[in-house]
Amino acid sequence: MPPTPKRDLLPGMLDMLILKTLSIQSMHGYGLAQHLLRLSQDVIRVEEGSLYPALQRMRQKGWIRAEWRQTPNNQRARYYTITASGRRQLGEQEDRFEELMAAVRRVMRPA
Amino acid sequence: MREWLARTIDWFRRDALDRELAEELRFHRQHLERDAAGEAAGADEARYAARRRLGNATRIAEDARERWSIPVLDRLQQDVRYALRGLRRSPGFTATVVITLALGIGANAVMFNVVDHLMFRPHPYLRDPGSVHRVYLQTAGWNRDNVYATFPYTRYLDLQRWTTSFSQLATFAPATHGVGTGDAARERSIVGVSASFFDFFDARPVLGRFFGAAEDSIPVGANVAVLGFSFWNADLGGRNVLGESIQVGNVPYTVIGVAPENFIGVAEDDHPAVFVPITAYAANEGGGSRSDYFLRYSWDWTQLMVRRKPGVSHAAATADLGAAFLRSWNASRAVHPLYRTAELALPRAIAGPLKTAAGPNPGLEARTLLWVAGVAVIVLLIACANVANLFLARALRRRREVALRIALGVSRGRLAAQAFTESVVLALLGCIAGLAVAQWGGLAMRRLFIANATAFDVLTDWRTLGAAMAAALAAAIVTGLAPVFFTGREDINATLKAGAREGTYKRSRTRTVLLVAQAALSVVLLVGAGLFVRSLGNVRDLRLGYDVDPVLLVRWERRGTPMDSTDRATLRRRLLETALARPDVERGAWVNSAPFAAGTSIMTLAVPGIDSVPLLGRFTYQVVSADYFATIGTRILRGRSFGEHDRAGVPRVAVVSEAMAATLWPGREAVGQCMRISWQATGADTMPCTTVIGVAENAVHAPVADLPLRYYLPEEQWDFGATWLLLRMRRDPAGAAEDVRRALQAAMPGQSHVKVQPARELVDAKRRSWLVGATMFVGFGILALLVAAVGLYGVIAYGVAQRMHELGVRVALGAQAGHVVRLVVIQGTRFALAGVALGVTLALLAAPWIQPLLFDQSARDPAVYGVVASLLVVVALLASAVPAMRAARADPTTALRSD
Repeated sequence: MPPTPKRDLLPGMLDMLILKTLSIQSMHGYGLAQHLLRLSQDVIRVEEGSLYPALQRMRQKGWIRAEWRQTPNNQRARYYTITASGRRQLGEQEDRFEELMAAVRRVMRPA
Repeated sequence: MREWLARTIDWFRRDALDRELAEELRFHRQHLERDAAGEAAGADEARYAARRRLGNATRIAEDARERWSIPVLDRLQQDVRYALRGLRRSPGFTATVVITLALGIGANAVMFNVVDHLMFRPHPYLRDPGSVHRVYLQTAGWNRDNVYATFPYTRYLDLQRWTTSFSQLATFAPATHGVGTGDAARERSIVGVSASFFDFFDARPVLGRFFGAAEDSIPVGANVAVLGFSFWNADLGGRNVLGESIQVGNVPYTVIGVAPENFIGVAEDDHPAVFVPITAYAANEGGGSRSDYFLRYSWDWTQLMVRRKPGVSHAAATADLGAAFLRSWNASRAVHPLYRTAELALPRAIAGPLKTAAGPNPGLEARTLLWVAGVAVIVLLIACANVANLFLARALRRRREVALRIALGVSRGRLAAQAFTESVVLALLGCIAGLAVAQWGGLAMRRLFIANATAFDVLTDWRTLGAAMAAALAAAIVTGLAPVFFTGREDINATLKAGAREGTYKRSRTRTVLLVAQAALSVVLLVGAGLFVRSLGNVRDLRLGYDVDPVLLVRWERRGTPMDSTDRATLRRRLLETALARPDVERGAWVNSAPFAAGTSIMTLAVPGIDSVPLLGRFTYQVVSADYFATIGTRILRGRSFGEHDRAGVPRVAVVSEAMAATLWPGREAVGQCMRISWQATGADTMPCTTVIGVAENAVHAPVADLPLRYYLPEEQWDFGATWLLLRMRRDPAGAAEDVRRALQAAMPGQSHVKVQPARELVDAKRRSWLVGATMFVGFGILALLVAAVGLYGVIAYGVAQRMHELGVRVALGAQAGHVVRLVVIQGTRFALAGVALGVTLALLAAPWIQPLLFDQSARDPAVYGVVASLLVVVALLASAVPAMRAARADPTTALRSD
């Protein structure tokens, strides 16, 4: 199996990606990791060592809720759901991210 | 903020969170394995690949777990566990400390609750209590020059008209009347209130409405009633009573509303059962004043509360009231020309606290309560001193352990934190036990203080719980930090080397000071107890001018049964005959106003040879039937009592009190003198002579009251509608009360009813403050003595244990058992003597303050001091005798060989 190229996420970006994903649908941790991997075409490989602490932190901040549910294959898994305050947070982070990207683009490709 | 709350909650369920995380990671790994299985060949390889991708599971768990670990809480939990383990290991120590603190905290919780209710806690529903005041008045020559809060309705009208500082004024008049009909009628507290009264509160009726200004109109208000919640709930079953009629006193009222739960208006102890318009109350119950209560100033019955307008200062409000009262005083002189001039009466008005106990002239009972509250604080101090002493003793015993732990690297800060945690745990245990004590003791207290005890519940009262917790924390700080400060830094090396055997016996100065302080405070409390007990005895023994024990009081309410004065006289005669027909009734007599009370009824008096009788004092009267003096036991000192021949139509006669005789005719014989009496405000000097036929001994209504300027008139000559029947019983009145009530009730017509009560009950209520003072002081004094004795015993016993080695050496060298005992006992007695000396000094210094609370008893009574001092010394002897005996049995070989 070829080694996956490693891409470092900017700080805070993981939170935004998780919130964005959860804003579409509730998921368990494994599902989240797979979803990010698939959508980013294997570029964003979230280390589980950062995924689960991040989920706990966001739960304590009240951005997401956790509850145990049955998976379609009838297994017990912890599903995470975004809360109203999480959606607000996501909006702010998206705005900040857009601003940052625009700024970076202006620097990299001056008109 | 929210995050920290979540973290704290997570901390409490961190074990569950750990388990959940483990399951989550297991789930994750299973799926990775499954994915890998699709790519790789062997199962082993798949598992390996999955594990590689997941990374170090333990590490992940650790990282996530950090989210629900709070180091401070972790350490605290450790300390608490350590403390609990230590306390379980020494149950004797724990029990002593917990019980000692429980008594101290419990006593304070009870007293806080009582004093808080009495003085500080705002009335339920009262809006913005800070701007609400009660109006107090003061005039020279009235109420012994003290302020008073009860005055005529007319005064309220004047003050309302002539003040500008207040956004709201309301007048109210609490009273007790029979409520209900027939056999179900009970004496209840009711309040006549102005319609504006309800506007002071943010209260909404649970049923119906409150009454408005139209129903509270001069001269006769509407007969409508608002019920108190607890009365409605308990007596009427909480049913819809709107529109029903309820009998209150003489008249039926229509129920228009029910006040919300806990609404008591501004009542001071009781939950009022019924609120009625004050103008309706005056017209129905006002007796001779019912038609002119709003014009004249002779009926003192209403109280007044006001709300300052925003921006009006307290001082400005008082000044405004003062000016209005001066105007009102002059207005009252226009109606009552005999009132003193403003220059003499010096009318003064104060906007004071709503609660009279916090007001400018709190009653004896309120002042006594404050003292008792102070006493409770002293008991807590003694308890703290005692516990601190026990802690110190233990700290000394643990010296080696502590030195060892320091040597092993535990920081001193952590040690102090542990010691403190331990004392907090103990204080909290003491607090819980103390609240149990308070709950139980509080019920007893309320019964003692407030006859109509309302619900008293420490456990559901947040203010009291808070106060108890504060007391517990204070105790924890005092007791927990004492050892930390006082043991100081020790030389670890020396301690470790010394071993269990103490080289020499070291006396701790701190412990000595604590012990002496305890003894001193106990002496102060016991002296207080002794003084109150003797006061109570003096009050009991006082000759009041009447007999209380054999007398039964019968009160009669006509309840609207129509009767003219002839009917009433017939009924009175019939009731008296019914009573006298019973073998257990010796004598009986009617009287028109409450016996054993300060008289309030006055008529205009003129006496030949005296310019202005009112300037000599306030002469009150009672209208009595012939056998009155023999029934109540007031002796006739000179002349004669009333007889059959003092009837209507013959020249009027009167009996005067000794004090009145001495005031009006000093140095002369009162019998045969002439008084002219008029029911009107003026014209007494043209009335025919009422001849004084006898002088009766002074009948004082309360032990501290002025001597009564009282005259008695025969019922046959003055038809004033006597409503009190006094019966002198041949057997115990309390036992006979119910029989008598049934016999008399049978003779009553219609809705009217009688109430029967032993006279002792009425009089005991007046002695309550001494009773309370004596009981509480004695209770707390004994408590303090016990606690101090335990402390003394503990310290001496500990000292003996420390000296076992030394004592063993002494015995080995030939000391007799007697020598050893004497050595120990002398040491204990020295502590006690020092405490006695200090305590006596403190008590003597406090004497001037406690003097006003005592009755006919010097606050420096040497007998009391002597008894207390010897009591303390005896207790000290006993407390040191037990360890001394143990010391005497010291076996020299064991003592010398140990360690």
